Amino acid sequence: MTVVVNSRDDFTLENYRRVAIGGESVAIGPKARRAIAEGRANFLRLLESDRTQFIYGVTSNFGPRAKITIPPGQQRARARALGFRGKWARGFGGGYLDERVVRGILFARLANFVAGNSKARPVVAKRLAALLDGPLPQVPLDGEVGAGEVLPMMHVLSGFGRDDLEEGDANPLANGSPVSAALAADTALQARHRLDHAEQIFALSAEAFGAPLDSHDSALDDLWGDEDEASALAVLRRYLEGAVAKGRRAAAPASYLVLGRVLGQAHRAVAGVEEAARVSLRSVTDNPVYVPPDDGHPLGRALSTGGFHNAMTYPALNALTAAWADLALLSQRHVTALSTAGLSAPPARDSAASAQVSGAPADATTGLEPVLTGLVDEARAAAMPTLLPAAVNDPQDDVSSPAFSAYRRQARAAECLDGALAVLAAEASQALFTAGRQPAPPLQDLLRKMRAIFPPVEGRPHDLGPRAESLAAALTQSTVTGSAPFDGSR
Amino acid sequence: MTVVVNTRDDFTLANFRRVCYAGEPARLGSQARRAMTLGVKQKPAVGPRGQRTAHRAWWAAPGVDFGGGHLEGAVVRGILFARLASLVSGHAGVRPAVADRVAALLDGPMPRVPLDGQAGTGESRQMAHVLAGLRRDGLHEGEEEALLGGAPCSAALVADTAISARHRLEHAEAICALSIEGFRAPLGPYDEALDDLWGDTHETAALRALRRHLDGAGTVDRRFHQAPVSYRIIPRVLGQVHRAVAAVEKAAAVSLRSVTTDVVYVSDGLGRPAGRAVRNGGYHNGMVYPALNALSAAWADLALVAERQVTALNTAETSGLPVNLAAAGASGNGTYAYGWAANSYVEEARAAATPALLPSVAESPHADISSPTFSAYGRERRAAECLDGVMAILAIVASQALFVTGRNPAQPLWPVLSFVRSVFPPIEGTGERDLSAEGGRLQHALGAAARSAELYPR
Repeated sequence: MTVVVNSRDDFTLENYRRVAIGGESVAIGPKARRAIAEGRANFLRLLESDRTQFIYGVTSNFGPRAKITIPPGQQRARARALGFRGKWARGFGGGYLDERVVRGILFARLANFVAGNSKARPVVAKRLAALLDGPLPQVPLDGEVGAGEVLPMMHVLSGFGRDDLEEGDANPLANGSPVSAALAADTALQARHRLDHAEQIFALSAEAFGAPLDSHDSALDDLWGDEDEASALAVLRRYLEGAVAKGRRAAAPASYLVLGRVLGQAHRAVAGVEEAARVSLRSVTDNPVYVPPDDGHPLGRALSTGGFHNAMTYPALNALTAAWADLALLSQRHVTALSTAGLSAPPARDSAASAQVSGAPADATTGLEPVLTGLVDEARAAAMPTLLPAAVNDPQDDVSSPAFSAYRRQARAAECLDGALAVLAAEASQALFTAGRQPAPPLQDLLRKMRAIFPPVEGRPHDLGPRAESLAAALTQSTVTGSAPFDGSR
Repeated sequence: MTVVVNTRDDFTLANFRRVCYAGEPARLGSQARRAMTLGVKQKPAVGPRGQRTAHRAWWAAPGVDFGGGHLEGAVVRGILFARLASLVSGHAGVRPAVADRVAALLDGPMPRVPLDGQAGTGESRQMAHVLAGLRRDGLHEGEEEALLGGAPCSAALVADTAISARHRLEHAEAICALSIEGFRAPLGPYDEALDDLWGDTHETAALRALRRHLDGAGTVDRRFHQAPVSYRIIPRVLGQVHRAVAAVEKAAAVSLRSVTTDVVYVSDGLGRPAGRAVRNGGYHNGMVYPALNALSAAWADLALVAERQVTALNTAETSGLPVNLAAAGASGNGTYAYGWAANSYVEEARAAATPALLPSVAESPHADISSPTFSAYGRERRAAECLDGVMAILAIVASQALFVTGRNPAQPLWPVLSFVRSVFPPIEGTGERDLSAEGGRLQHALGAAARSAELYPR
């Protein structure tokens, strides 16, 4: 299949998913081709009206040399002399962006073109879309923080044929903030799945613990009065539908009672990233941007702007990272509660036989609890916010974009959360196993899938670490694919 | 005037401001009394209390917390006001007479609530301070827990922040516009066309605010090439501040009217309006501290961009303005050293932007999750204070840039410039001035104006 883009409204999260994850091609639709051609013609009229006017990157040099103009007779030659890889790509180290994100950047880049704001020729957009059909370049994760996103874009565009570039063709390729858009979109798609998986596993934990059900009561939707918390409560109720009320504990640790509110904040953070992705994907962000003719400007205008600085993505990623770190801590608290005799028993420990020094039965816990300390600590370290970088390149490029850093920290926190959730799932499974109980029906498939990877612990197995690692990896994989937790089949 | 509260919908930011800052009393309305009376009549027995019986011990001996200064009295008033929201609908099972006692506390002096040592499960410890003066004789089953439980502190802290934040943002936008004029930055980066091209409501709000301040700005004498990045991206950075402020306002609006007591009484299958007791985690406000974290980070980022503009204005090679913005015949240092001072505020603001996460320490196996709202509130206040420092410096430097070039800004900015110069006149001549003290006065004036909204006559 091919995603056909005709307007900025086609740059949706769903189309992003099709291109970036589904591997589909992109075609520039007829409406977009007309808009691009018309925009190009109008821009050329503006340029030819006065080749001494300031149009960044067309009649002027770049960056700190922006005030140095290019004589009209040299402007075409300068455009052709632009190179991407050899001249600008500089970052190295830290591994590489996943190829799906590189595809996503190319997709997001096209939003600049389709409404005729790019100044570039239609062939440039077509050639850009065609990059999705060939091998994709590697984009290092380190060294990509600068003013705007030119540094990573120079890697992304390394395979772009540039021998015949004309005035106005180059900037819409390399300037702007398509990288932030793609990083937000990539995160948003996974975050929604990750949150859903977390909710299922926390519900499983509540079942294993025998936590009271009224802390998710529907009456709280209105009494708390927050849409995100209401969403979290509704999800918990859905997964706990049919849960046996008899025999549950009358009280539970705070970590169980506050689930709806902590998960509500995660809903809010995920919604924030989704909003950042939605807005960023369809934004026109390059510099300069061509604004079509209007009554006051019959030739249109080429405006120098700060569109290349995406200011909403990195804070949204920061908020999500913090939410993941808080959920990781909550996971650890649940595991502690499940592992602590006297807290969770009854009902989780009734059928256990032998007792350890702590009073817990020998096979009542998985023994994975110590792993969590490190995971929680790492997630919290990743949650230190990415702010505007303190370093200055030069007096002109005096503020940089930290989107790459925020993306990586979110990924690290998410990885730690997946590990913590895997351990919690294993611990909840173990508690149910030793008690000889089944969770509420909506959770039984989850339990079956996770036990296929991490069966209940009996005896003293020596491969718990690798098994837990497999469990965490399966959870991460299902987050990327959008399948049910621990199910890599999709 | 008196704020009469009848339903949860009366717990608005406007009423919060009246009670907290204007010092108005609050009283229960007749509708609230009916709801509360009905709720109490039909509520069931509470049953086992579990871990929250610690309430009583804290109330019996408040004062184990100390240090870090104390909450402002206005904010303590806000906590008392927010406390009433959980009571008026009858869901907390508290009698009107008890709520009257809470409301009556607003008529007396406010107790001191320490800022340090306030991270715990829920907010009972803080409430024990706030309610220290409450008569406790004759309280019925469950009323003590209802008064001490829930999350009214988070509601009040975020409401207090929300009110200041909106004003602080508006003042920052005016000063950034003054800086744009001082630098003679091209106006293209604030063009109306960008509203749609960027397509974000908050960035649009920032663009509009800048255009409003720059309405009528001259286009002839501006630099022909693009300004440094810090000038071109300011609408997007301010847009993020708009987003953060809106989130804090939303958290305040939601939290002020929430019913958050540890046990709420809701209708049962028999039609009794308070026939069923629901234990819950309402005492943990999960939205306020992240919203405050995001605002602190937004202040820190805005402080950094403002500092970059200070540097650009002070650097003749970048701005094309006189060296150090020194007036003819005056010391050659001009406003140069203010750039250094701005650095320290920026670094402090960035340190304050370290987020408050769920505390890693568990009080006990049952009280295993604590609320970090007080920490987040303290950090936001510090970041805001530092932003005020940088904004004061940017205003000083922009004013000086206009002064040494004999220019006026766009007309909508005249009141701002007049205010700035009333506190910090341009540096001219060789007369002795305490520039440190004058800068400090401007910072404090900005801080006060964030609360009062009155930076200059509108």
